Amino acid sequence: MKRRARRGAATPRGAATLTLLATLAAACGIEERAPQVPGSTLRATVVDPDGDGTLERGPAERLVDRTDLAPRGRGATREVARLGQLTDSHVRDEESPARVPFLDRLGPPVTSTFRPQEAVSPQVLTAAVRSLNAERPQAVLVTGDLLDNAQRNELDQLLAVLAGGPVDPNSGGGGYRGVQAASNPDGSFYRPSVDAPRHRGVLNRAQEQFFSPGLRAPWYAALGNHDLLVQGELAPSPRTDAIATGDEALFTFAPELRGTLDDLPRSDEATPDLRDVPPEEIERLLERGVPGRETRVAPDAARRSVSARELVRRLRAAGTPAPPGDRLDYVADLGPRLRVVVLDTVNREGGAEGVLLPAQVRFLARALRRAGTQSVVVVDHHGLDRTRGGDAALRLLDADRRVVAELSGDTHRHAIRPRRTRAGGFWQITTASLADWPQQGRMVRLVEGPDGSRALETWTVDHAGGLDGQDLAGFGRRMAFLDAQGGRPQRFAGARRDRNARLWLPPRRP
Amino acid sequence: MRRGRTLLAAAIVFAAALVAGTALTAAVSLSGGFERAADRADLPDLIVRFDATARGDVERRLAALPNVETTRYRTEFNGVWLQGGGGRATNGAVHAVEPGRRGYAIARGRDLRGSGETVVEAGVAREWGLEPGDTLSIAGGRLRIVGVSISPDNVAYPLAKAPRVYVDRRDLGRIGDDVNLALAWLRDPARADVTLAQARAVSFGLDDLRFITRDGVRVLIGQAAGIVIALLVAFSLVAVTTAGIMLGASARSEVARRLPSIGVQRAVGFSRASVVREQAARGALLAAPAAAVGLAAGALAMRGAAERLLAALNEIGPGAGLLWWLAGAWLAIVALVAAASAWPAWSATREPIAALLRGGELAVGKRPRRWLRPRPTSPSPPHNAGNRRLSTVSRIVSALGGGGGGLGALGARLASARRVRWAATVAVLGAASATLVLLLALASLLVSLRDDPGTVGKTYALTANLPPSAVAEVERIPGVAKAAERTAVEASAAFSLGQPLRLVGFARGAEDFEAPPLAEGRRRRAADEAEVGVGLADALGLRPGSRLAVALPGGREGRFRVAGVVRALENDGRIAYVREDRLDALGASGNTVVAVRLERGADRAAVGRGLGALGARPSEAAAATTRNRGFLGVLATVLRIVAVTVALVCLVVLAQALVLTARERRPTLALLRTVGAGRASIARVLAGACAAVLVPAALLGVAVEVLVLGPAVASLAAGYAGLSLAPTAGHLALAAGALAALGAAAVAVVARRVEREAVVAGLREEA
Repeated sequence: MKRRARRGAATPRGAATLTLLATLAAACGIEERAPQVPGSTLRATVVDPDGDGTLERGPAERLVDRTDLAPRGRGATREVARLGQLTDSHVRDEESPARVPFLDRLGPPVTSTFRPQEAVSPQVLTAAVRSLNAERPQAVLVTGDLLDNAQRNELDQLLAVLAGGPVDPNSGGGGYRGVQAASNPDGSFYRPSVDAPRHRGVLNRAQEQFFSPGLRAPWYAALGNHDLLVQGELAPSPRTDAIATGDEALFTFAPELRGTLDDLPRSDEATPDLRDVPPEEIERLLERGVPGRETRVAPDAARRSVSARELVRRLRAAGTPAPPGDRLDYVADLGPRLRVVVLDTVNREGGAEGVLLPAQVRFLARALRRAGTQSVVVVDHHGLDRTRGGDAALRLLDADRRVVAELSGDTHRHAIRPRRTRAGGFWQITTASLADWPQQGRMVRLVEGPDGSRALETWTVDHAGGLDGQDLAGFGRRMAFLDAQGGRPQRFAGARRDRNARLWLPPRRP
Repeated sequence: MRRGRTLLAAAIVFAAALVAGTALTAAVSLSGGFERAADRADLPDLIVRFDATARGDVERRLAALPNVETTRYRTEFNGVWLQGGGGRATNGAVHAVEPGRRGYAIARGRDLRGSGETVVEAGVAREWGLEPGDTLSIAGGRLRIVGVSISPDNVAYPLAKAPRVYVDRRDLGRIGDDVNLALAWLRDPARADVTLAQARAVSFGLDDLRFITRDGVRVLIGQAAGIVIALLVAFSLVAVTTAGIMLGASARSEVARRLPSIGVQRAVGFSRASVVREQAARGALLAAPAAAVGLAAGALAMRGAAERLLAALNEIGPGAGLLWWLAGAWLAIVALVAAASAWPAWSATREPIAALLRGGELAVGKRPRRWLRPRPTSPSPPHNAGNRRLSTVSRIVSALGGGGGGLGALGARLASARRVRWAATVAVLGAASATLVLLLALASLLVSLRDDPGTVGKTYALTANLPPSAVAEVERIPGVAKAAERTAVEASAAFSLGQPLRLVGFARGAEDFEAPPLAEGRRRRAADEAEVGVGLADALGLRPGSRLAVALPGGREGRFRVAGVVRALENDGRIAYVREDRLDALGASGNTVVAVRLERGADRAAVGRGLGALGARPSEAAAATTRNRGFLGVLATVLRIVAVTVALVCLVVLAQALVLTARERRPTLALLRTVGAGRASIARVLAGACAAVLVPAALLGVAVEVLVLGPAVASLAAGYAGLSLAPTAGHLALAAGALAALGAAAVAVVARRVEREAVVAGLREEA
């Protein structure tokens, strides 16, 4: 299915309007100061060379040849397709009452309930959009967990960032009111006004309107669990909506929670965190409600959850060629040489694990049959090998020589693995998130040579936030790096071979 | 005679260098001791204490922190039976360590290599007479001592109540994998606060968690000595300054004495530059050996005492590094004397040669100042027509002298005739007097800081280790005016976790039990208000109305509104006074005692017995300094050395002044003896001369101490506390008496010397 032109951006009148808005925004100081830093890691990287927690510009990372599936060819330089990937942006309403940030300190598996940089998620995504625009992709794949808490206002922000235009990151009343306020006497939350490194006023600045340039290339979304489930786990309900749109939030850790958590069954009594607590026990706890001291907040009706149908509809309106309904399985042909097949792996019943239904497997089969001579890239959020029911889909891919790659997200970690098959094999590429360090996007370029050799060249892209951390996106990257529960200690950046690599593919049959 | 004068001048240089050497050794040794020990011991940048937790769990958390280079873990056991050499203890602290960086330095022997070995802390080794090769019994097991350590994260035993030893973890196989102490070395220690902020975020589940940085350790170690070291260092710096003043004035005086010879040189054609060079060289040659000997003597006198104090704090002296400081001081002294000789020589060579030949100061033609003009009724000196002026000083002496006022006034005129030399002598004696008065004031202050809890704002005399419920019973003891629960919690600033502070809580209504003077704002009233010490206010930028956020042991955070800022001495001013019930609400646990305020005239011993009957061990309320003999002994040594040196300087200067006066006025004195004046009369003349310099010097000294030295030392040592080093009437009387005694001694010696000389020799000079 060919993609419709994006509304608003492609016409001359739209471009003029955007230019006027950009000029006005700059004049009003709304646009975030965006020093042009980083970008493609083929030119430069962002590193901490001496391990002291300070980020600096580092040397470029050249492509590493990976010959796991095929030897190096010669002359594979003709570009067939050029794709960008952004994933797990977790655009977040950090002031929403429907969150449990104080569980974060418990460690796995709830470490993602708070991040010190959580207030600047739309700004980070905007900076990533800027960087990716500079790479001139033919299309951009946005592979799920675009939102954080399945809230409508999060979706509004996301679409505004990707489509371009003014973005309003604020919710509830004016200014910031949340767990990171200086007045919160809970030192487990990083409070930028008072805790090191100090960034006074950053939270209020993060609530201010700003302007996004929008993705210049057409973009195609896949859904992740956080796009449709509360905290990526719970199916929305009237109860969760009442909490989200209500005027009471749990900001403060209640001492009795410790006793409640200690009573949870564990396989290993030695660890105080929840890593050894069965997931169903954690879910029961969340459903019962966690004890904490409630704080009054300004209610906001826009915090209600977005249904799958509404989400799909709005993405379709933004240009995603999804069929009517509430699932986001579709095909996008990027010219005559490349077919992108997008699969929706979100379990509507709840739970973070992906699921693929038999009907979706049949859809995949049809899409493959109709691909003709096109190379095929399969896109999903969870990764088919981590999805319940994904084996059947993988068997289809394994048997198809035209499949060159599967792109996914979800793990927040760069990883590139060869999948060896009878048909020759393909590459499974997982890309890190924008929520956690390293906060990078990815470029993927399919190249061919006259001798039939083929390769996927892929490299990571840093967003355009400043290295000094003075702009909001740069602040976000800085705090993501420092986060002791984030991507740095969990090595989300992967090895070099998982970032910038030339992935050789079996040659095309003539 | 010339050799005698040279020796006297050298003696002053020696005395000043002695003061400088003592003070410099004290200042250099004590002010950098912690840094030297910390560097040598590779003290970690962060020390984290917590309840016993699996090593893997702690390691996972610390490995996730930014800016961490290395981590090591220990298990600390307290209350362990130790016995070895001549000592034993039931409260020993045993640290089970693992290979790698350890955070302590080996002073003797070697570090642990395997099981069956132990390293003892240097204070334990010293107190119990232990050496490498000896055996130590630890909880019944016997281990061989292989080394003696310096552990700068704590003071040495017995200042630290628990003797500490180190053993290999493998010797304690039963302890399993649990640890309760983590050491972290950072790649950039300046960013420790960033690391700590993240550490707090991942600390859930670690009970009784406490962080301390290297800077925090420095503060805590410093508090162990209290204000003693700060006062020592501040006093030393001031003493060095006054020594410099003495040197400069003395050198100038020497040049003034040599004006006639300078005149001769100018008369025979010496250029100004060559004269100046010669005077500078002469001064330098005089000062070089005297300063070297003086500095060495001062350093040697102070070294032992300083090292003992440093050892008590687990700190290290400068070692051979002190030589560089002494060498620098030597160069500075020689340069100062040379400059102080060159400058007046340069000024003097501007004068007409005839004036120089007449001594420079006695030039006719100049209209003397009004107060120096002769009174018509005053007798003129029998010779030296140029000196007909009667000084104000001589009039004062005359008024004081009574029957001998005439001879005394004569002596005063003789001494004050040479204005420049008189002024230089007064300056030297004034500096010495100021130092003497400062010494007395400092000694009194230290006694009160040690013994009087009122110096830290405490209005209670005793404390008792009783539960809060016993307050009512305590108040029923005869002699007790009031009792209140006092809780002290060691915490840190929430937004600057490396800054330690102390919270002191009293129940409502007992806030006046500890009330240091207010510097700003008002006293606390509401439950969430606090009075913070100036030291804490300056460290955290607090003012009345600010918010004080405190990270309590265990991880909770308390917020207080600053009502007032107080000049608190305790804890270097890093203290906040709050309501006790607020601490309870925050779940803050600390050291709780019952503070006991006595009725006026109460029998302290009887109250103590009453507290004992309740099962308590009463203690004197702590004042500002430790009562540790080691510390106070060091201070006493320094004060004694400086006092003796000051006395020596005074004696030498006075003697020099009198000898010079006697020499220059030889004909006068010879004439007096010719007409029948005996030793007593000569002594009266000399006494008048002595008084002419001593009285203004004493007045100058008091003024300098009150206006300059006292405030300087107080500000340098404890600017946060508003200490007063103003002398009392008793101090002034004592100083005056000491100066008078020194003057009398100088007069006696010189008078005897004059008497031994033949009268004819003096008369012949006149002829």
